[in-house]
Amino acid sequence: MSLTVRTDRALVRAATRSTRYLWIELVAPEAPRRQDRAPVNVALVLDRSGSMAGARKFPLARQAAEHALKLLHSDDRFSLVVYDDRIDILAESQPATPDAIHAALSALELIGPREATDLCAGWLRGCEQIARYLDDRAIGRCLLLTDGLANRGTTDHATIVQHGAELRARGVATSTFGVGADFDEALLRDMAVEGGGNNYFIEQPEQITDFLTSELGEALETVMRGVQVSIALPHGARAMCLNRYRSRYVENDRVFQVELGDLVSSQVLSIVAGIEFDSGEAGLDTMATVSVHTSDGAAFGSEHNIRWHYDTHAANETQPRDLEVDIQVATLYAARARAEATEHNRRGDYESARSILQRTAAKIRSYAGNDPRLLAIATSLEGDVPEFAMAMSVLSHKRHFHEALHLTRSRGPGGAAVRREK
Amino acid sequence: MASPESAFDLAQLCELADVTPRTVRYYIQQGLLPSPGTRGPMARYDQSHVDRIRLIKRLQREHLPLAEIRQQLEALDGAGVQRALDAPPKPQSAALAYLRSVLPLPLPEATRAITARSAEPTRGAHGDQQAPGSAAHTPIIPHRSQWDRIPLAPDVELHIRRPLSREQNRLVDRLIEAARQIFQEIKP
Repeated sequence: MSLTVRTDRALVRAATRSTRYLWIELVAPEAPRRQDRAPVNVALVLDRSGSMAGARKFPLARQAAEHALKLLHSDDRFSLVVYDDRIDILAESQPATPDAIHAALSALELIGPREATDLCAGWLRGCEQIARYLDDRAIGRCLLLTDGLANRGTTDHATIVQHGAELRARGVATSTFGVGADFDEALLRDMAVEGGGNNYFIEQPEQITDFLTSELGEALETVMRGVQVSIALPHGARAMCLNRYRSRYVENDRVFQVELGDLVSSQVLSIVAGIEFDSGEAGLDTMATVSVHTSDGAAFGSEHNIRWHYDTHAANETQPRDLEVDIQVATLYAARARAEATEHNRRGDYESARSILQRTAAKIRSYAGNDPRLLAIATSLEGDVPEFAMAMSVLSHKRHFHEALHLTRSRGPGGAAVRREK
Repeated sequence: MASPESAFDLAQLCELADVTPRTVRYYIQQGLLPSPGTRGPMARYDQSHVDRIRLIKRLQREHLPLAEIRQQLEALDGAGVQRALDAPPKPQSAALAYLRSVLPLPLPEATRAITARSAEPTRGAHGDQQAPGSAAHTPIIPHRSQWDRIPLAPDVELHIRRPLSREQNRLVDRLIEAARQIFQEIKP
């Protein structure tokens, strides 16, 4: 594993408050040989509500389940749950032997789409199957695939998301897959973000297999569990994470913690935290300490100390900048602006959509200088203005929503983990 | 079969193991308990039946599915059952404890490990078979039907959705009787 920590500027203002950015790049170690991997305990939870009949979604989901389950070994466990307004557990949690997988897929063969969507209960029953056999070694992951809204049983967004967070804390992570144009992307995103898994948008049902097998394949290559980045802050400083990860203060607000979840072999994560400093005495130094831990408390790598120096306004204005950090910061602000513009556009507030893109582009230009990469980020935002300033299709909303989400979670355009080339 | 000196009848077994006669019959049908050999009032059971029922109940409390309980019991002789009963219970996983607090009850056996036949996509063809002693309803799945699964011969079962009218019950009884006779006739 490698951990790199850099800041955009080394000076902070003595007379007033300042914000500086920390860029933390973390590269997970390479996975050991496949035979040595930790077993997974996975539940596939498939929506079989009436809408899944369209575009052959359910048959394709069935095919995807077959491909995904065949990735497992007999040391792994699997279960298979289908739901509409009723939940059927087609295969209880059991070792993933070829016979067990065959029997589960045979049962799935006879299932067809039916009625409304009790998403919460179907998902929780999948988690229950995992929880029955959860041990410290296995990676518990519930994969929920749906094309619709939660419209039966528990439908309250906050309640469902809270379940995801509680289960994550107890070793059962959730990844979500939304198919087509009609699912609730905010719900599926929050279930995955709070639930410690990943969220995917599957625009075409033919892609279900690729997404499902990719996510399960990642679970099979998990090398670090429950990874947290901790930033011990200088006195009086506050922090915020520009990425979309869970974060919180601990130790009387002295330490800011960002929860990254499980990392897969050679995965690269790029995290940016903004740190707001109080004024201070010119000539003095202040320092933050960055460290990485896993859920069992094991520390990875050594701590990194980053120092800033309190100085005059003039010195601050002329200080050199770390361009690489600026690019990371600009990339995340651009993604956040697009996410916000998407929400404005969805509500029909085209002026606000246009405004957030233009303001963010102008801000990036203010520190871009002549750097072509920073200028390209600003230009790209400006180029998006016409599209966001008029009505978009539902699929375009979903596409932009997920592109921004994946970027702020350090994942590739389709949502897969970004990995360091060998 | 139980030896005469240690034998109980069904009522005594139920009292000792704290179960109902229906539960005992269900466990035998499911292959969790050995058959007493003789049917009806002459059926006799012994201490091994009591121990096995206690172990089944304990494993059910640990939320093990019936198929797994059956598998575990098949691998145990009388001493093994005793050792399993003496072992401390497994701590429930924190995730399972949480789910127990938000999911009212485990799903009835039928909606778990649903059979291919009962998983037909059309409404009304559900294979809900109610395990004796388990809850008939969970709030998240209202209007649950109760199905009885009646073994007719090895690998052959009849599924009945309850309740039935008196007339339907009478016809079903005739059907079961006739089916069992047919399977008796073709026994090798």
